[in-house]
Amino acid sequence: MMEEEEGTEEQQRFSYQQRLKAAVHYTVGRLCEEVASDKEMPFSKQTIAAISEVTFRQCENFAKDLEMFARHAKRSTINTEDVKLLARRSNSLLKYITEINEDLAQFNLERKAKKKKKSEDENKNSVEPGEAGVVEIEN
Amino acid sequence: GGGGGGGGGQRPTDTRSVPQGLVSKLLHLHFKDGKTKVSGDALQLMAELLKIFVVEAAIRSVRQAQAEDLACVDVEQLEKALPQLVGVPGDFLRGGRPAPPTR
Repeated sequence: MMEEEEGTEEQQRFSYQQRLKAAVHYTVGRLCEEVASDKEMPFSKQTIAAISEVTFRQCENFAKDLEMFARHAKRSTINTEDVKLLARRSNSLLKYITEINEDLAQFNLERKAKKKKKSEDENKNSVEPGEAGVVEIEN
Repeated sequence: GGGGGGGGGQRPTDTRSVPQGLVSKLLHLHFKDGKTKVSGDALQLMAELLKIFVVEAAIRSVRQAQAEDLACVDVEQLEKALPQLVGVPGDFLRGGRPAPPTR
């Protein structure tokens, strides 16, 4: 009886992983297609599958590192500083990620300013989740 | 550019390429602590990072195939390009220029 339950849990985790891998594969396929068009060089199906596999595995490293960074800072929510830490070893990547992060922060500020102005104009109270708020996903 | 009222408006990151929902699930799959969460901005950055990872792998494989004068990118080219990208966890993030294609 116990074995059966454990087996089902394992099976469920396995098939969940498979679904995630399939989703990664689809996304990787689209990205490779763009590169292939741009460079006029096609990819074999096996290559796309291989890139997809590597990407999936790399996510495990990223996830564990991010979790460690946040925990080290005594937080349970991973933030952009943790992501920048992840990118620290490559100067160009870090610079790129930092720029995007700054654009994001600016974008959020502007959105909030617009919303605030809008709600003041309309004389209403608007309750909105912040862009930088915590995203909780149910597994 | 973006602008205009209501929803929409252009985001600085083109995270349509890698859906944030997917990124979130991928990260949460490997968290050890059930309490770990990811902020919205961090999620957007990670989506961007993953996109860069995939595109970099693809482009380096293409360069390898071009160096070998091939008409198509096969797994061998990826295998040659990969060590510079992810030989050891975090290698992808190591600084410097991409390595020239190996012969």
